[in-house]
Amino acid sequence: MNAQHSAQHPDPARLCHAAAVRLAADADPDRLADRFAAVTRRHRLAAGRLWVERVLAGLAATRRDAELARPLPAGGPDLRAVLLRHDDGADLVLVARRPALGRHRLGALLTELTQLTEPTIAVELSAVEPSAVGPSAVELSAVEPSAGDDAGDAGWLRGDPGVDRTAVHAVAVPAGTDLTALVAAVGAVLARYRGVRRPRVGAVVGERLTVVAVPVDGGARDLLATAGPGSPWPAPGIQAPAGLLDVEVGVLDADSTADAYRPCLAPVWPLTLALAGTTLACHHRTAAWAADLVEAFARQVVRVLGQVLAEPDRPLDDCDPLGDAERAAIVALGRGPGELPAAKDTIHDRIARHAATHPDAPAVSCAGERLTYGELDDRARRVARGLAARGIAPGDLVGVCLDRSVDLIAVLLGVLRAGAAYVPVDPAYPVDRVRYTVEDSGVALLIGAGGVDAAGLTGDGPPADRLGDGPPAEGSRPAQPPVGGPDDPAYVIYTSGSTGRPKGVRVPHRNVLALVDATAADFGLGQHDTWTMFHSSAFDFSVWEIWGCLLTGGHLVVVPHLVVRSPGEFHDLLAAERVTVLNQTPSAFAQLLDVDRRAAVPLAVRLVVFGGEPLDARMLTGWYDRHPETDCRVVNMFGITETTVHVTAQTLDRGLALAGSRSVGRALPGWRVYVLDPAGRLLPPGAAGEIHVGGAGVADGYLHRPELTAERFRPDPFSGGRMYRSGDRGRLLPDGRLEHLGRLDNQVKVRGYRIELDEIRQVLLDDPAALAVAVVVETGAEAADTRLHAYVVLADAAGSVAELRRRAARLLPDYMVPATITALPALPLTANGKLDAARLPAPAIPAADQAPTPADDAGLDERIRVIWQRVLGAEVGPEDNFFDLGGNSLLALRLLNELRDQGLADLTPRHLYLHQTVRGLAEAIGAAR
Amino acid sequence: MTEALTRPAPVVTGDRLAGKTAIVTGAARGLGRSCAVAFAAQGADVVLVDLAADLPGVPYPLGSASQLAHTADLCAGYGVAAYPVRADVRDSAAVRAAVALCLDRFGRVDVLVNNAGIAAPSGKPTHEITEAEWQLMLDVDLSGPWRMISAVGEVMCRQRAGSIVNVASTAGLVGYRHFAGYVAAKHGLVGLTRAAALDYAPLKVRVNALCPGSVRDDPHVEGRMLAEIARSLEVPVAEHEETFVQAQPMNALIEPGSVAQAALWLASDESAQVTGAVITVDGGFTAR
Repeated sequence: MNAQHSAQHPDPARLCHAAAVRLAADADPDRLADRFAAVTRRHRLAAGRLWVERVLAGLAATRRDAELARPLPAGGPDLRAVLLRHDDGADLVLVARRPALGRHRLGALLTELTQLTEPTIAVELSAVEPSAVGPSAVELSAVEPSAGDDAGDAGWLRGDPGVDRTAVHAVAVPAGTDLTALVAAVGAVLARYRGVRRPRVGAVVGERLTVVAVPVDGGARDLLATAGPGSPWPAPGIQAPAGLLDVEVGVLDADSTADAYRPCLAPVWPLTLALAGTTLACHHRTAAWAADLVEAFARQVVRVLGQVLAEPDRPLDDCDPLGDAERAAIVALGRGPGELPAAKDTIHDRIARHAATHPDAPAVSCAGERLTYGELDDRARRVARGLAARGIAPGDLVGVCLDRSVDLIAVLLGVLRAGAAYVPVDPAYPVDRVRYTVEDSGVALLIGAGGVDAAGLTGDGPPADRLGDGPPAEGSRPAQPPVGGPDDPAYVIYTSGSTGRPKGVRVPHRNVLALVDATAADFGLGQHDTWTMFHSSAFDFSVWEIWGCLLTGGHLVVVPHLVVRSPGEFHDLLAAERVTVLNQTPSAFAQLLDVDRRAAVPLAVRLVVFGGEPLDARMLTGWYDRHPETDCRVVNMFGITETTVHVTAQTLDRGLALAGSRSVGRALPGWRVYVLDPAGRLLPPGAAGEIHVGGAGVADGYLHRPELTAERFRPDPFSGGRMYRSGDRGRLLPDGRLEHLGRLDNQVKVRGYRIELDEIRQVLLDDPAALAVAVVVETGAEAADTRLHAYVVLADAAGSVAELRRRAARLLPDYMVPATITALPALPLTANGKLDAARLPAPAIPAADQAPTPADDAGLDERIRVIWQRVLGAEVGPEDNFFDLGGNSLLALRLLNELRDQGLADLTPRHLYLHQTVRGLAEAIGAAR
Repeated sequence: MTEALTRPAPVVTGDRLAGKTAIVTGAARGLGRSCAVAFAAQGADVVLVDLAADLPGVPYPLGSASQLAHTADLCAGYGVAAYPVRADVRDSAAVRAAVALCLDRFGRVDVLVNNAGIAAPSGKPTHEITEAEWQLMLDVDLSGPWRMISAVGEVMCRQRAGSIVNVASTAGLVGYRHFAGYVAAKHGLVGLTRAAALDYAPLKVRVNALCPGSVRDDPHVEGRMLAEIARSLEVPVAEHEETFVQAQPMNALIEPGSVAQAALWLASDESAQVTGAVITVDGGFTAR
């Protein structure tokens, strides 16, 4: 949200343009100077004298270009004229301020100055200014900016975070392109990038500034129907009319009879497209529009221009900015690197094969109990036999509701060996949730411990059972025919989602095998590794932990429930077991970091994988201090239960951590990522849309929910097969990495502005004082009552949130500044290690008592203070700052109304901005009386 | 004198001052020319101020109009605009006219190098300096920079940008026998630098001082200050370089190009947060 391109105080270069003509070598400088003085006097142009300079041989072009690029200063003259004399003649360079001298008048002035005859027959400059421009003579509508539609959605395109400079990229456009067609084409492309129906495009039409809200439901021809007068260019010292200069893209005509014409000396809008004949020059600020994205945008505009010119009635929304080749390139960009051969076996077959060759290798341990691969295989075999004895057939679902133990792993493997799929149920979950899962899935059998029996799964529920003591295996590993195949379901995991009841996601064996095949080589996974199973078996992160470990021959340390809850004990376990592969949610890792900072024992961790929720990479710098990248690789993975745990992987380093990278990396081999618009069309890199995932990880669907399955699992039109619609917002970067931008339903509207809670969270996290941040929205009865609340864990427990608030107020527009910031010792987490918003306390502003009425005889200070308290709903002291207490512009108006109604003062919002405390305001009112 | 020293020192071209405009006083020759050429080579348009005449009371010839024009030609060779302006830094109106020319022509004043100065009349103990000699020395070497700063200050403050480089001397940091007027003026210039830096710091206008040591009279920039100092000290001109070298920790005189590079850095945005600084380019002379 950098406001470097302020419309209020525009860079003077944005309002300047320049032209040059070549004169004959015998042009008389004195005569030209006289004529220049006469002409500028007649037209009342604020201009200095004609500057005449001699240019050394070989430097004429350099000097001309330098003069063409030299802006007029703010508050200076309207026009500068320089005559550069050289061996080949002389170049007359005029630089003018557009508010005083538009394109046609500048052209006419050049003509007049260079006519050989005396200026008696000169055209009257004021008479040549056209009311419109180009053969189509269109007047485009000037519209008032509104807070709706596309306002407030910052950061939709990636700029270059480095130095803000300007650059130009030129492309050829089809013959016949005029400003109207260009506005239409830019609107059509911009609508895709921004996901809006009426994108706002700036334009200079007939020397007047306008903003066109392009209706993409209509065609280019329909743009003719709207007509408006536009606005003059802002004069020096005068603010630009609101909104006219603060659109992101604008177009202007750059045709000129001069030998050289520069339509703007700095981009008028962050991306300014200047049309001259069949050349389109794209002037851009690199901080807002990175060069590669400008190239793509220009290419897409040109493609749409061809369609607009051929079919002016075709709705702009139907135009195709990409074309087949570019679409194929984008699809390829979202495809994971390398090939992934299709799995032909099953999870349990592979583990059995490993057990046969490495029977004595450690497989699973938990709280002192240890199983080798041979023992694990043996137990799983007994479980499978027991299940078969109870009538479980291949294809059945078996519920598993067991505490963390080696048995849990043996039972899960045993279920698979029986050809069935497991439905994990966390015994720590509420009884209703357990019951719902069991009933909804319709498991044929529930394997549980005693606690679950007592929890009410009697009656109509399936039989609870315990298979720990099945009959001993007979003989030693008789040759068994493999049960099941890669397409059989391996597990059904229930996921809550943000709305509706939890639903079971059915995932086949081949997906899990693909996940391991996609990562094993890159991560170097093997039998030397020790993994933890930290997460609940009901959370699919555990699928990765359990099978990622056992399918690569590693040693799985099941973390007991109480240890999971104690970062200190968990750290001890990591050290004692010499764990090498650690999987964590960022929230859980934040707590572990705190322990690690103080711990003396060394860790053997060589790979940390993040998953489950967005990572703030900044938290890693302290980790890297103790565990350098060369010793421990840190990978951030974005994933979804419906696409088999993971989708993308980004290996992080200190540089990315310091930059606070949001990248979640490229798709895994075999996985595919698409960013689509609401109509399901592929979006180009840089444009934010909904993340869709195709390829090897796509689950079978939701158990017993065919409609929901059909809605979320769609045919993949780009690569065949199916793809999953994630509900997550993201964008592809030009290098194929994905940026995750939060949940689509994390977008909320506050006072009409569409805002991203994640963006606010990010700004607060940028402050080193904040270790962890949560932002929630509180919806009130009236628009002005909708408030944002932030919760932070401070690095310094005794610290204050005041500085955080000031920083947020500096960096965020006022509608995005949280009304309250509450410091907490830790953020509440769910059993899965994600933020538990429901357990956040009430925000730290004490509510006011019954709205007190100020007594008439109270002092002015006191009467104002009481009104403040009522409006702000908070205790207010005489030196408290209105905006620090959550005041915003709407509440300011309410406060001013109250002050007026009470007969205290009739003030404007400006007074409140000047005097932001009760005392200050009281003094100002007192002084005015 | 070796062969290498008879060729001009190479000037590095680039865009470190692209789009900027610099005023350099005392630009006809010596350090002024060296700075002006270095700036032009980095893309700055230059306004070159010099009295370009001799001054009654100064016992040696000052820069000439021809030398000033030559500096302008050298600058223009880098493809920038170069305006030679004859002005006396003791004359407020002339100083303001030079700044106005820069503003009218280019629309901004980004850099001021206060380089104009005289080394003599000197060479006598403090009590022998006449009233007129004292006044002349301070008027040129201390009041001159102040007049320039007062002329550009308002412009730079309005721009919210600007870099002023005051060319002082090691004589602004330590004393030299028989140079009381010069030493006092240069100490004053260092003080002026610090005070003005604080005045303008909130507006992002920077003021810094450069303190060169004994600068070699490079024939390519037609320097002659060291020779004049030698003459004031009654050191035979033929052997003055050797005499001064003996006092240098690095066993070499300061090259004007070294001073120009320091000025270039102070002029450019590379030193964006450096203000009120006093930077020596003296080969370690004042480190002792």
